[in-house]
Formats: sequence, C-alpha cells, structure tokens
Amino acid sequence: MSDWLRRVLESKRQARRRLASLPFSEKIKLLEKLRDRSLAIAANPLRRKQVTSDKPLFP
Amino acid sequence: MKAPLEIINQMEADGVIGRYAIGGAVGATFYLEPSATLDVYVFVSLPKTGGCSLVTLTPLYEYLTARGCKSEKEHIVVEGWPVQFIPPSNALDEEAMEQAVETEVEGIRTRVMTAEHLVAIALKTGRAKDFSRILQFVESGVLDADKLEQILTRHSLLEKWEKFGNTFLGG
Repeated sequence: MSDWLRRVLESKRQARRRLASLPFSEKIKLLEKLRDRSLAIAANPLRRKQVTSDKPLFP
Repeated sequence: MKAPLEIINQMEADGVIGRYAIGGAVGATFYLEPSATLDVYVFVSLPKTGGCSLVTLTPLYEYLTARGCKSEKEHIVVEGWPVQFIPPSNALDEEAMEQAVETEVEGIRTRVMTAEHLVAIALKTGRAKDFSRILQFVESGVLDADKLEQILTRHSLLEKWEKFGNTFLGG
C-alpha cells in the first residue's frame, strides 16, 4: 500500500471517529440531511432501478 | 426526528403502546457515524386487548391516522418520517427492548437498543446491509465483546457469528 493511500484511509478513519463522537442530536440532523439527499437521488428519472435483496445471506 | 419522537412518546404515555426502543440504522447512529436511511425502525410492545393473547397494530394505526398520519406499505408516516413499528417476535427482540438505553434527541427523551443487541438482531436478520452494519460496529470498537458473546450464546447465534467471522473477518 502506498503512503498516499495509507494517508487517505487514515483520514477517512479519523473523519468517521469524529462523526461517531458527535452528540446523538447532531448525528440525527446529519442523518436527516443524508435522507433528503437519498430521496432527491431516488426521485431522479435518470436513476436506474436499484437491485437489492432482502433475503438473508446465511439462511 | 424530534416531532415523530414526541408523538411516539405521547403514544406510550397514552397507553397505546408499551415500552419502545429505536433499532435499525437510526439506532446504530447513536453509536456510529450517521449513514443514510429512509425509515425508522421502532420496536414496540403492544398491550394485549380483551383477554386475547394476540397482539394487533390496529389501535396504533387508528391513533396515528386520527392525527393525520398516513400509512405507506409497511410504514406509517409520522411527521414526514416513515416509521415501521415492529412488535417483538422473539426473546432477543424482547431483551433488546428491555435493556435499551435512555437518551435524548433535541431535548426529547427516547430509548435506543444497545450496540450489542443491534449487532445480534442484524446477525439474526442476516441481509447484506445488516452485515455491512455489523462490520461498521466491529471496526468502530464500540462493542463490549463479553456482553455480545453472552447475548449471542443466550439466543443461539454463536454459530452464525462464527460463519460471519469466517466470511467477513478472516476467521
């Protein structure tokens, strides 16, 4: 793994830790923003139908 | 999320539902970084009616529709949030609700399942997105390993956990 990639991964880990340590109320506000974005993306007619499965992987 | 929680708390105070606890992705957000979700899973105990051992969501739906909420497939939309009310279907769900932790969202009290119970329920449910969430929990370091093992043992999930570990955690 290159130094560059190592730095990128470490930076992502730090960002995750920072977000996880926020108060629950703050995280809920972020979650609401993420939800609004997801709904906007889902409403775009150019978006292809998503293929998902609700079946357990290990039945 | 504040408004739906106020209504759910009022339902509890009015006796329409018993104890409740938030699970799923919103529950996981209590412990992890926020991740996109479209709905809220609320596990609810329901009062038994008329001496019958069957539980029904009808009073809950009647209460909410009388307050302008609309049902959409398996959800009921409470103040803009699709909420899925889930009565406990096994001992693990019951235990997760009983041991849920008290917290607050913008000054509104609520309850969230423990990280270990969220992991056990995700393992039991076993969809791809559940496994992804379990990995987030493992990587975050928030899990109490002893507590998780006790829960997995109590609810016969150790074999599944081993399979999960072999597949996703390199044994």
